[in-house]
Amino acid sequence: MSQGSAGTDSWAASQLLVAFLAVFLLASAHAAPRISLSIDDIRSPILSARGIRAALTGTRAAQLEITLDEITAQGRVWRNLRFSCPTFRLGERIDCEGGTLHLSGSAAIPAEFSYSSREKTLDARIRTVSEGAGEDWRLAARWAGSAWEGTLTVANGQAARIAGLLPDREKASLAFVKGAIDGTIRIRGTAAGPEGMEIGLAVAGLAFGDASGLHAGEGIDARLDATAERQGGAWMWRAGAAWPRGEVFWQPLYLTGRGHRLDASGRLEGDVLHLLEGRLTLAGVGEVRLAGEADWANGVLRDLDLHTEDLDLASLFEHILKPFLAGSSFAGLGVSGRAGAGLRLRDGAPQRLVLDLRGAAVEDEHGRFAFHGVDARIPWQAQGVSSADIRVGGGRLEGVPLGAFRVPLQIGGDEVFIPHMMVPVLDGEFILKNFHASHEADEDWHWQFSGRLSPVSMQKLTEALGSRPMYGTLSGTIPRVSYADRVLGMDGSLLFRVFDGTVEVRGVTVRDPFGRAPALEADLDMHELDLGMLTSVFSFGSMQGRVDVAVHGLELFDWKPVRFDARVASSPGSYPRRISQAAVQNISALGGSGAAAAIQRSFLHVFEEFGYSRIGWSCSLRNGVCEMGGIASEHSDQGYVIVKGGGIPAITVIGYNRSVDWWELLDRLQRVTQENVQPIFK
Amino acid sequence: MRNPVLQLIVLLWLAAPLFARAAADIEINTPVIATLKQSMQQRHGQLEPHYAAGAVGLTRDGLIALRDASVLPLSARQPVNALIAAENQDRNALYREIARANGHPEWEGDIRSTFGQRWIGLARPGWWFQGAGGAWTQK
Repeated sequence: MSQGSAGTDSWAASQLLVAFLAVFLLASAHAAPRISLSIDDIRSPILSARGIRAALTGTRAAQLEITLDEITAQGRVWRNLRFSCPTFRLGERIDCEGGTLHLSGSAAIPAEFSYSSREKTLDARIRTVSEGAGEDWRLAARWAGSAWEGTLTVANGQAARIAGLLPDREKASLAFVKGAIDGTIRIRGTAAGPEGMEIGLAVAGLAFGDASGLHAGEGIDARLDATAERQGGAWMWRAGAAWPRGEVFWQPLYLTGRGHRLDASGRLEGDVLHLLEGRLTLAGVGEVRLAGEADWANGVLRDLDLHTEDLDLASLFEHILKPFLAGSSFAGLGVSGRAGAGLRLRDGAPQRLVLDLRGAAVEDEHGRFAFHGVDARIPWQAQGVSSADIRVGGGRLEGVPLGAFRVPLQIGGDEVFIPHMMVPVLDGEFILKNFHASHEADEDWHWQFSGRLSPVSMQKLTEALGSRPMYGTLSGTIPRVSYADRVLGMDGSLLFRVFDGTVEVRGVTVRDPFGRAPALEADLDMHELDLGMLTSVFSFGSMQGRVDVAVHGLELFDWKPVRFDARVASSPGSYPRRISQAAVQNISALGGSGAAAAIQRSFLHVFEEFGYSRIGWSCSLRNGVCEMGGIASEHSDQGYVIVKGGGIPAITVIGYNRSVDWWELLDRLQRVTQENVQPIFK
Repeated sequence: MRNPVLQLIVLLWLAAPLFARAAADIEINTPVIATLKQSMQQRHGQLEPHYAAGAVGLTRDGLIALRDASVLPLSARQPVNALIAAENQDRNALYREIARANGHPEWEGDIRSTFGQRWIGLARPGWWFQGAGGAWTQK
C-alpha cells in the first residue's frame, strides 16, 4: 500500500519539475537583467497551479526565484512552494547550481538543473548526504516535437522525503515514515499530457505510523512494478507488488510479510478505478482472485467480485478473521481445514456469498464444543432463500460425543431456518425442529427452536460427562426455546425421565448465556425417583423407596447455585421403605459429626436395615448458607425430623444443625460418598 | 492502591448518597458482581503496565480505551485491543448487574458515570484519563 502512494507521488514530483520548467521557459523568453513575471492561473488536464511568480534578480540576472501558491494534481493539493537558484546561467544551456526547493512544512531540498534547448534535454537532480548515506533523485527529460519523456531515478531515496511531498491531507495523518527507496519511474507523453509510464520501485526498511498508532508498519521490504498506457480517455494499467518482509498493524489486523503478492491489472477512467483482474497471494493462506470497481477520489468500493477455491482455514482464521472476533465468544476457536469462497458486492452492498468448507474442524478452547469432518456448501444471497448443505462428521458438546449429521439449512437475507434436523447423541438422538434465526439492522441475532431427545443411555451419558455411572435412560421433550436481547427463555416445561421417575423443568431463563455472566433461573420438580437407584449411584448407603424433589426459585450464576428452596419428601403411595445403617450414618454425618457418633454408640448399630414411614429434608440457600429443615408436619423439641421411623426395627433421624455453609455441605456429601467407594489397596 | 476494584466498591459504598434513593439498600455483593470483580482483578495485572505506559487510558464513561498504540510493539497491539474488549465487556456487565441487582435497570447510566469518575479518582499518577472535554489528560 505504501508502495502505491510512493509511486504516485514520485510521479507527481516529476510533474512539479515539469511545471517549473514551463514557468522557467516563460521567464527566459524575456531574458533581461531584472525580470519578474506573475501568472494567476495555469490549468491543464494533469496539473493546475495558482499564484505563480518568477523573478530573475541579482547582477546579470543570475538569481532565479520561483514561487507557487498552490499546485493541484490528481485532486491533491500542495501549497506554498518555492524554488530558488543562486547560481543561474543563461546561454545555450541554462544551468542552475546549488538551488533549493522549499515545500510547505518540509526542510529545504538541495536541487539543481541543466536545460538545453538545442538538445531538448532537461536534467534535474536532488542530491543530499544525510546521516552518512547519499541520496540521489534525478530527473532526466527530453523531447522532440510534441513528444516528451521523463525518467526519475532514485537511489537510496528517503521515504520521509516522499512523505514531505505528500498532499496536506495525507501528510497530516502520517506521524512518521522512514525507509529507503530505489528504482525508476519513466513517463512519456505529448503536449496533451502523459501517454504512458513504467514504475519499478523497491523500498527497504520502511517504517511508518499514524498519530494513533493504529496503522503502522516496521521493517518492511517491498517491491512494486507497474506499467500504464493511456488509451483514449482512460489509463490501462498493470501492477505487481511483493511483500517479502516486515510487519504491519492495520487495526485490527497484524500481518507479517511472508512473501505475500498482489498482481493486478485494470483501467483508470476519471475517478473510477476498474480492477479487471487481480490475484492476491497470501503466503500460507492461499490465493484470492479479485475484480471490481472503486471510486478512487472518495475511496469508496462500489463493486467487488472475490473468488477463492482453496484457502487454509487455520491460517486464515488465525491471521485474518480472529482479530475481528476479539471480545466475542468465537475468539478462542481453533479452526482447520480448507475453504473456498465467492463474494459478489454491488454498489457497496453484498449480494451473494458462497462458502465452501472441506474437511473443516472447529474446536472451542474451553472444550465446550467441537465439530470435525465438516463439508459444507453455503450459498447466501441478499434476496431470496437458498438451501445450504452442511455435513458434519461428528463432534462433542460439553464432552458428550455427537454422531454424523446433516444440517438442511435454508438461508437468505438476514434469516436462517432449519425445518428439521437429527443429531445422534450417544445411542439416542436429538431432534431439532423449526430452528429460526434472524436479526434486524443494529440488533443482535435472535433465534428459537423446539426439540426432542429420544432415549439416551444414562450409563453412556455419565461416562461421557465423567461423572458417577447412572443407569436407565434419559429422554424428554424440549418446548419452544428462544433467545433475544441476550436472554434465553423456554416456554412450557422440559420433561425427561431419570431414576425411573420424571423430571420437569419450568420457567427457564438464562441471562447472558454466551457472555461473561450467565445467570440461570428455573424451577425443578422431580416425581417418584427410585431411591434404590439413586443411592446406589451415589454410594450413599442403600435406601429403598421413592421421593419427590422440588427445587424452586433456583438461581445459578456461572452455572453454580446461589439461591434456591429445595425440598425432598417421600412420594405418596405404597412401596417398600427401608434404610440401611450406612445411609442413616451418612444422613447424620451431613448434619455434623456429633449425630453420627451418637448412632455409633447406640444399640442401633447392630441392625443392618431399618424401616421408615417418611423422609423429609429441606434446604433454603441464601448467601451461601443452607437453612435446613425436616419433614414439614413433624416437630421435634430441639431439631427437625429427617427420617420418621416405621415398621420394625424403626429409626427416626433428627437433625439439630439448622444452618450449614453450602460448600461445606457439598464437601461433606462428597466425602461421604467418596469414602464409601474408596478402593482398598492390599 | 493495591486493589483498585475492591477500593472502588468500598468507595462506592461510602459514596452511596450519590445514588438518589435508598442509599443503605444498595446491593453490590451479588455472585455476578463477585465473579466480575475477580475476573477484572485478574486482568488488572495485565493491564497495569499498559496504563502506566500510556497505551491504555480510562474513559469518562467508565470504560477503558486504546489511547496511544504507538508505545506498543506492532505485534502486541491487537492482543492489547482484545484485552481492552474483554475488560469493557466485564465493566458493562458490572454496571448492568449493579443496576439489575438493585431493581433499577434505569440506573445503569448513573452507575456507569459514577464508576467512570471513581476509576479516574483511583488511577495512579502517570496514568491517562479522559478529561471533561474528552481530551486525554495525564494524572
